[in-house]
Amino acid sequence: MTLFALPHIKISGIATAVPKRILSNTEDCPPQLLNERGRLIRNIGIQNRRMMREWECFSDFALVATEKLVEELGWRKEEIDALIVITQSPDYLLPSTAIILQDRLGLNQKTIAFDINLGCSGYAFGLHVIGSMITAGSIKKAILVIGDKSATMNSPLFSDAASATGLEFDENAKPIYFDLNSDGSGFKAIYKPVGGHREPYGPLHSVPVIGENGLISWRDELVLDGPGIMNFSIQRIPPAVINLLNYSKITREEIDFFIFHQANKMINETIRKKLDLPLEKTPSSLLDFGNTSGASLPLTITTQIGQILEKKPHKILGYGFGVGLSWGGFIADISDAKFPPAIEI
Amino acid sequence: MSQEITFLESFTNAVDFQNPVQMSLETELKTLPEWDSLAALGVIVMFDMEYTKAITGDDLAKCMTIGDIFNLTLSA
Repeated sequence: MTLFALPHIKISGIATAVPKRILSNTEDCPPQLLNERGRLIRNIGIQNRRMMREWECFSDFALVATEKLVEELGWRKEEIDALIVITQSPDYLLPSTAIILQDRLGLNQKTIAFDINLGCSGYAFGLHVIGSMITAGSIKKAILVIGDKSATMNSPLFSDAASATGLEFDENAKPIYFDLNSDGSGFKAIYKPVGGHREPYGPLHSVPVIGENGLISWRDELVLDGPGIMNFSIQRIPPAVINLLNYSKITREEIDFFIFHQANKMINETIRKKLDLPLEKTPSSLLDFGNTSGASLPLTITTQIGQILEKKPHKILGYGFGVGLSWGGFIADISDAKFPPAIEI
Repeated sequence: MSQEITFLESFTNAVDFQNPVQMSLETELKTLPEWDSLAALGVIVMFDMEYTKAITGDDLAKCMTIGDIFNLTLSA
């Protein structure tokens, strides 16, 4: 059984930071790929992406997003009991970026701080980890930071962002329902083979590879199995969403917004159609923000529905999926929460 | 025959050709300029949505003609 319900947790707000540098998939594209870009953009649904500058880290954006969140919520820093960071773009291989951020944010040394190594699926897992600590009574207020620095000039998919979500104990909060899953047998669908202990960096990895199209790639780049990811996403996610709804005894009509990981339009549209969901209930940030990895759920909330959520209570279902393979979702009631506009740095 | 016509229509939409293309089940995939990794994803979605079948990248890699892909719709 992968389904859970946790009581007394309130999602108090979300703040998101993105780079102000915008890459256009049409214009910032190698000339030899220009002809095929129209068709590509039509199918993946990504026109623009955000890219951090070379000297910036994910944590620099996480810092700004978290500062903004704390300010909006009116929290005192000494009240923050935990800071959990979900990223695959750490400052260093060790220690955890969360611990470095504890200091940069000026949080108390009693703060619980650690990283979780998850990507596009991570948001629900992070909510569950923090939610469990709150439900157990060990902490009262915590921040979940999520995102990656994954944009590259060549890939038309990935885009950079960092987001911070505030959670706190609330006696009156309705339960948050979770569905969390893992399948390591499919890990090669999305992985970075080089740089760990299975294949440490060596001289070979600094030699570029010239592709048939004349473009240079590197041996340590992310490996993506497109058909494998497509099959995983469109076959696993729709039934998982149904399971979560059934477990919670909440009907799809009662859900105001279904926020899915923003993978690409082909995947997202297929999931939407298989679940028979109307477009207006499935907000998308793909067109202007691309695939922002784990940040894609909170970024979509910030940029597409934040102002709507601030006006009155809503019920949302979020579902992330990707590298691992890992997939997880949640159903939460959002009420009296803060959603400031995205910060551009 | 109508099964094949329906398939060719779906295939045309799934590949998302830039310009109209004359094709039959005998057409070799390598002669289609748009037959690429993006087209393969479109065909995987088409199989899932229209034929309720899961096909893999390896299944498609073995196909030489459009007819080979059509035959995947008939296999168990």
